[in-house]
Amino acid sequence: MDCGARKDWNHSLTVRKRGNDMNTKRAPFNFIKWIQSGKVNRRLCMVTFMLAPLLLLLVFTYIPFLKMFQFSFYDMKYIGARKFVGLKNYSEVFSRKDCFQALKLSGYYIVAAFIQLAIALWFASVLSFKVKGGGLYKGFMFFPYLVCGIAVGFIFKFFYTRGFVLDTVLQWFGFNLDSLPYWLKDKSINNISIAATSVWRYMGQNMVLFIGAIMSVDSSLYEAAAIDGASGFNKFRYIIFPSIKTIIVLNMILAITGSLSVFEPPYVITNGEFGTGTYFVIMNKLAHVSQKVGLASAMAIVLFVLILFATLLQKAGEWYFLGIGDQEAIRTVRRQKKQNRQREADNR
Amino acid sequence: MRHGYGKQFLAVVLAGTLTATLAACTKKDEVKAEKTDVGVTFDQIKLGEHTDLKANLKFLTHKTDIVDTTFKDYVSEFQKMYPNINIEYEGITNYASDITTRLTTGDWGDICMIPTTVDKNELKNYFINLGAMDELSKEYTMLSNYSYDGKVYGIPSMGNIQGIVYNKAVFEKAGVKEIPKTPDEFLSALQKIKDNTDAIPLYTNFAAGWTMTAWDAYIDACATGQADFAQEGRVKGKNPFADRGDQTGPYAVYNLLYEAVSKGLTEEDPTTTDWEGSKARLNKGEIASMALGSWSIVQMKEAAENGDDVAYMPFPITVNGKQYTSVSADYNYGVNCNSSADNQLAAMLYIKWLIDKSGFDVNQGGVSIKVNSEMPEFLKAFDKVGLLYDVPVPKGEETWGNDVNNESELGINVSGGMAKSVVEAAIEGQPSMKELADQWNEKWTAAQEKIGITH
Repeated sequence: MDCGARKDWNHSLTVRKRGNDMNTKRAPFNFIKWIQSGKVNRRLCMVTFMLAPLLLLLVFTYIPFLKMFQFSFYDMKYIGARKFVGLKNYSEVFSRKDCFQALKLSGYYIVAAFIQLAIALWFASVLSFKVKGGGLYKGFMFFPYLVCGIAVGFIFKFFYTRGFVLDTVLQWFGFNLDSLPYWLKDKSINNISIAATSVWRYMGQNMVLFIGAIMSVDSSLYEAAAIDGASGFNKFRYIIFPSIKTIIVLNMILAITGSLSVFEPPYVITNGEFGTGTYFVIMNKLAHVSQKVGLASAMAIVLFVLILFATLLQKAGEWYFLGIGDQEAIRTVRRQKKQNRQREADNR
Repeated sequence: MRHGYGKQFLAVVLAGTLTATLAACTKKDEVKAEKTDVGVTFDQIKLGEHTDLKANLKFLTHKTDIVDTTFKDYVSEFQKMYPNINIEYEGITNYASDITTRLTTGDWGDICMIPTTVDKNELKNYFINLGAMDELSKEYTMLSNYSYDGKVYGIPSMGNIQGIVYNKAVFEKAGVKEIPKTPDEFLSALQKIKDNTDAIPLYTNFAAGWTMTAWDAYIDACATGQADFAQEGRVKGKNPFADRGDQTGPYAVYNLLYEAVSKGLTEEDPTTTDWEGSKARLNKGEIASMALGSWSIVQMKEAAENGDDVAYMPFPITVNGKQYTSVSADYNYGVNCNSSADNQLAAMLYIKWLIDKSGFDVNQGGVSIKVNSEMPEFLKAFDKVGLLYDVPVPKGEETWGNDVNNESELGINVSGGMAKSVVEAAIEGQPSMKELADQWNEKWTAAQEKIGITH
């Protein structure tokens, strides 16, 4: 009974499949024909081509991440026995003074990121139009992004050394060497010095992204605006900005998540000394100097959650204030509804 | 039609290769490297035997500067005796941290310099037992760092002496006639250098980071005159960093640095010091002194043309009228316990050759680890100094040192973090040296309690 029913089901399945398939006529099952048939073949291709990137993603991102998640529940070193401690590492992350203290430094980098976006936007809107030697400028400004982060660190270490590049340049402008601060030693400005290096490095890249977005704006809009007598700023305010807001928000999200997880500049330039140790630098120290791998993993997970939260917050902000894609912003929609309601009330 | 067929074929082949590689990966994971037992110990093998042995060895080293020069010569010299043993050196720049992760894979090579991160009870999982402590110590000294349960797992490449490297000519020019013996004498000598010459009296090399660990090396035997202070006084003792009041002990060492920095006797900006450049500057007399182990002497001498001015003095602390220095092991050679028996034997032969025949130790500014070896020429100033060799740690306490160090996060001999915080505090003017020492004691005591050490 049971067996027969299954057979029947199988049969109906094959019939349906054959019925759907146009290429194969009712012939005995042929594997080669089957695999060559359009549908199967297409799926096979899809799976095969996706396998490579998925495999890379799995091996180099998700498996290490899951391992780290697992490590965060253990009291462990790189070498030696591991002991399961539950959430103890997490409670330590929140009770230690240095972890969240270090997160405060991200404030410097977030401010720097906004300055960087502003400069990039300005250059982009200038360089999108015909400028003499525009290509050259773009090239020069994009160049720092191509230099590897470690090299940037070494460049700036010498740049900020007493009596070297920065001091010499400032002396040309009449500054006295004695009145200049020690750029990396003075705790009141060393974080600004280091954050400035990341502005130097990423400004060009942001600019190129903005230029790309501005290029895609329909040029007839500018002409129409020019006929209406719009000034340069008006063009930016009413044409460029609304057209590229998605890219601006994307850059902002990248800049802020990047600011929370700064590592290279402070690690290479000052090694996190003199109050420049960011969250990641502290984490690296705990893992590699004190061999507290579990604690460092927990720190990484906490930061991951924080970044996730920050991104969601920004997304929500974008949705409310600017609107996503072609969709109107929630704020504008509400305002319009309110106005409509008022109008209706007035009419009545 | 043909076009379509090609596509399908490609798809099938791709899928096939990918699943194959995936399968290969998992397979490799399953086969855990088996430990091999070579069956001979380091004291039993003799150079000149097994000359027909065939092996290809991989040697991981921190000495990136001489991988292509000195080590190449060593290999070709060694191959005169063992023509079929080939050795490939790999220099690792960020050695101390990179090697730890590589060790965990088991498949890193045949010989490496054992990092401090391997706890003693873990040694047997990574390195072969080179022999019994009792047997090997008849021939060699300083074996205690990497031995456990009476078995030796690491042979030191050389011994280091701790002191201060300085430029003789600058000290003479400044009017310092005698080598300072106490912290106060040293500070006044530095002051004279500052007043009478253009040289930087004491260069911290703060920015390089690892150079600051030199200060940690003085706090045990050098500062106390006790060979077993590291274990008995520091790891097990109560508040080891407290001021002893007689200019000895760990406090006196860090206080010397604190005073030197706060009196302006070091470079202006520690965050931008340049290690490579500092060697030539000491040689030329632009820097008067640096706190570094004896391994640095050779590099300083060779950095520029005034090699004869470079000299070495004991650390300026005197305990009951006598100065002491510790003779301690530099990086130890360890042999991979997962290598084949032939490779392990070949590795032991090469290590033996390095220690007995190569002259690596003295060439690199160290002392030989062989029993009754003579002091090299450049350590003349040490003839009246008491030499204290590392003493074995009592059984059952072998891992305490690392445990307390990691738990307290002070990073003694690992990060130089304590000396760095001294420099930072001295520049800021707060906290004071006493407050710093109190903080350290607090962390240290908490860590001791967690490990279960009671006073």
